[in-house]
Amino acid sequence: MDSWESLVAAFFIWVIIPVAVAGLSLAVALFYALSISQNTTVPRHRPKHAAAHLLIVLGSGGHTAEMFSMLRRMELDPTIYTYRTYIVSSGDKFSAAKAVEFENNHLYKRCQGHNGEGQPTENHKLAGSYGIVTVPRARRVHQSFLTAPASTLQCFWQCLLVLRGIHRDQTPLPPQTRSPYPDLILTNGPATAVCVILAAKLLRLWVYCFGSKQQHKDLAGAYPLRTIFVESWARVTTLSLSGKLLLPFVDRFLVQWPALEGKQAWKGMRKTEYVGTIVD
Amino acid sequence: MTSPAPMKVCFVTVGATASFEPLVSAVLDGRFLASLGELGYTNLLVQYGKDGRPIFDRFLQDRDSEEAATSHSIQVDGFDFNQAGLGREMRLAQENAAEGRRSGAIISHAGSGSILEALRLGIPLVVVPNSSLKDNHQEELARELQKQGYVVASHYEQLPSAIRQAEDLRARMMAWPPVDSVQTKRKQPLAGVMSDELGFLD
Repeated sequence: MDSWESLVAAFFIWVIIPVAVAGLSLAVALFYALSISQNTTVPRHRPKHAAAHLLIVLGSGGHTAEMFSMLRRMELDPTIYTYRTYIVSSGDKFSAAKAVEFENNHLYKRCQGHNGEGQPTENHKLAGSYGIVTVPRARRVHQSFLTAPASTLQCFWQCLLVLRGIHRDQTPLPPQTRSPYPDLILTNGPATAVCVILAAKLLRLWVYCFGSKQQHKDLAGAYPLRTIFVESWARVTTLSLSGKLLLPFVDRFLVQWPALEGKQAWKGMRKTEYVGTIVD
Repeated sequence: MTSPAPMKVCFVTVGATASFEPLVSAVLDGRFLASLGELGYTNLLVQYGKDGRPIFDRFLQDRDSEEAATSHSIQVDGFDFNQAGLGREMRLAQENAAEGRRSGAIISHAGSGSILEALRLGIPLVVVPNSSLKDNHQEELARELQKQGYVVASHYEQLPSAIRQAEDLRARMMAWPPVDSVQTKRKQPLAGVMSDELGFLD
């Protein structure tokens, strides 16, 4: 009997307490790391006319429509964002078609605007400088919550491959691009956007902690994988589920209605920024 | 489609994803059709969605059987949905003198895509949120846009009065997209934030 009690006590002292302490310190370290990461701003380091790689996540119907509405209104400049990668979910033909239409019609015409009529110029090549990558759906509509984690993990893994530039849909990046990673990630939800942003955060942490010498040398002075989340224009007083999930992870969180301004994941974290209506 | 007298089209859309049968029934109701007639509308075009067809077909049958009783002479057409988008149908409600059309109106579910499209085209818009949807943030959007004077927010039971309010809206249509107070300070907020994150030297 006595030995049984001492066994329980030993188990408590040597297993439960250390595990609890380790778990707690890990959680604190994680919160601290998230807070530091979110409060770090990018110094002005990039020379004008340097190549930049923009990654755009196309959610689905309404999200995709709003994304291109924003890109039209801001007059996305292909001479600044010299290469674009679009991520679409498998089976989402609408989003892929919209990306092609945006590149071939809108951006191409804007290049013509710069140079007038006539022969295709250097700018016209930039208008075609893009790739579309398909990743599996994070969770299908009506999919059971039992099987959803498996497909979410699969989506997450594929997103990691895309961010590292080694996904099977990807062609080699233009030679002037400096890092294998996209410089900037622009998303407006839903599930795939959550996967991409979490993958970007993990990759940044990984490179910071375990990156090889060569990687650190390549990335010296560069700040790749920066993330922006734009809350849907349809959200007037409450954040969407993907918005709530991503609040502690994204570098910039933009909202289009004043009631959503200044929200933060917890004290000390970066607040949402009100930018007015940015769709057209 | 062109006729000597100019057309005035009311286009109704319930969206592609969710069904919205009460709205389909409401726009085919006699009282609403009478209001359309009084306001000079000539055509009603209904995108009735995946479950709206039986309601629409029943309406056509009933109307054929009591033809003499109908005092209004509005041409009513319908379709389930259009894979290529509703831009063409929406433009039927836009003023176009060359094609013989006066400015009409759009009655739409509260999906942001349809709302934005109508605002872009500058067509008076009545927004009817689908109260059967669970996560109903769309109602807030409709109410806020009404407060700012962009749309008429309504309910499917109040369409006859809402379509009258759409006439007032036509008289004071505001330009879209709006330029917010934050944007007068910073011209392109999204471009600015993106450029910050890339760390471009000024």
